[in-house]
Amino acid sequence: MKNDTPKVFKSIFALFVVAIFMIGLFYAFVSMPKGWGVNVNNRVSRLYILKNVRTATRLLDSGKFFAKGMKPLRAEVPYKPIKFKKTANLEDGAANVVTSIVVDYRGFDTLGEVTVLFLAASGVMMLLFGKRVKPKRKKTEPSLIMYVGTRIAFAVIFLFGIYIFVHGHLTPGGGFPGGAVIASGILGLFLGRNGYTPNHAGLKVFESLSGIAFVIIGLIGLFSVKSFLANFLPTGIIGNLYSAGFISLIYIAIGMKVGSELAAVVDSMIGDTKEEWS
Amino acid sequence: MQVFLQNWIYLIASVSLIGVGLYIVLTKENIFRIIVGLNIIESGTNLFMIAIAWHPKAVMPIYTATDHLAVNGKVIAADPLPQSLVLTAIVIGLGTTALALAIGVKIFEKYGTLDVRKIKEAEK
Repeated sequence: MKNDTPKVFKSIFALFVVAIFMIGLFYAFVSMPKGWGVNVNNRVSRLYILKNVRTATRLLDSGKFFAKGMKPLRAEVPYKPIKFKKTANLEDGAANVVTSIVVDYRGFDTLGEVTVLFLAASGVMMLLFGKRVKPKRKKTEPSLIMYVGTRIAFAVIFLFGIYIFVHGHLTPGGGFPGGAVIASGILGLFLGRNGYTPNHAGLKVFESLSGIAFVIIGLIGLFSVKSFLANFLPTGIIGNLYSAGFISLIYIAIGMKVGSELAAVVDSMIGDTKEEWS
Repeated sequence: MQVFLQNWIYLIASVSLIGVGLYIVLTKENIFRIIVGLNIIESGTNLFMIAIAWHPKAVMPIYTATDHLAVNGKVIAADPLPQSLVLTAIVIGLGTTALALAIGVKIFEKYGTLDVRKIKEAEK
């Protein structure tokens, strides 16, 4: 495609590419096995090695799937029903299954995710740092109601964010949404007063300390259970606040880290705004 | 029929979101619009992964909602693994969008425009 190609041809070519992608996605969705078609006792993770449940089931039934020494797990590990607020000492006591996957089973992935977010935030700060143009603000100051209201709302929003990431293993939510809620409260403070700046050193210290806390929790697991980011606390009764071992500790660290990071991103993006753009 | 529609409406919505975003990325010349298109693709992909994990009779995979996420060995909860992957993808999408917007700001400061063609001419 050259620069002087007519726009119509470009649009038609784009539509062609889009159509190919859409047909491929439709086919992928239709050929995927649906949730209700999978039996827990068949150990889904082992069957998914073959990428095809139907073939794997056929091989299992004919006895060809496992090597000679291996026994199929389906008869020996029956599914035990779990009762809310009654069952104790599970492998991972979180009532929210998504949380137990994100923080416990895929904890190393979450550490990488937090690292990516940290790199993105520091990249934004690095790019927008430098000649800080003091913006010529408009004459209209935010009113007193706005100023007081955002400060009152900030306290409530901060508390709500803390609630979200402390209850991450019981209810929908967790460290990332809680941190985003806290950062939105700080954005409200920016809107409430002209020339508001958060304490930069405090944000940086907070962010670094919570990041170090995440790694230290992982190292404690390495030294006590012989595996990085392993659960080293008792899991308790499912559904209680003090359950699920180290998940709430990690989510507190993640929530503080994400909140301070997003607040720093908001600060660097607002501080560099020029008057002529608005 | 109702079950069929419930399962397919998310598929159609997600695939058309991906299509709209792809069309924007392929045809538009403004960098800001390309970033917006990438964002639309991202939300379409997230919806697609959630729709794979979901079925019309599913409950949420949290034990507060129901005592049993599986009845008679059959799972009645939505598959939690794609949901956790989407949780990761949302956060990383947020970070990459912020970084792309910061780079866009720097491009505007250097060239005075966000048009890809004009930037290419200015480079020559």
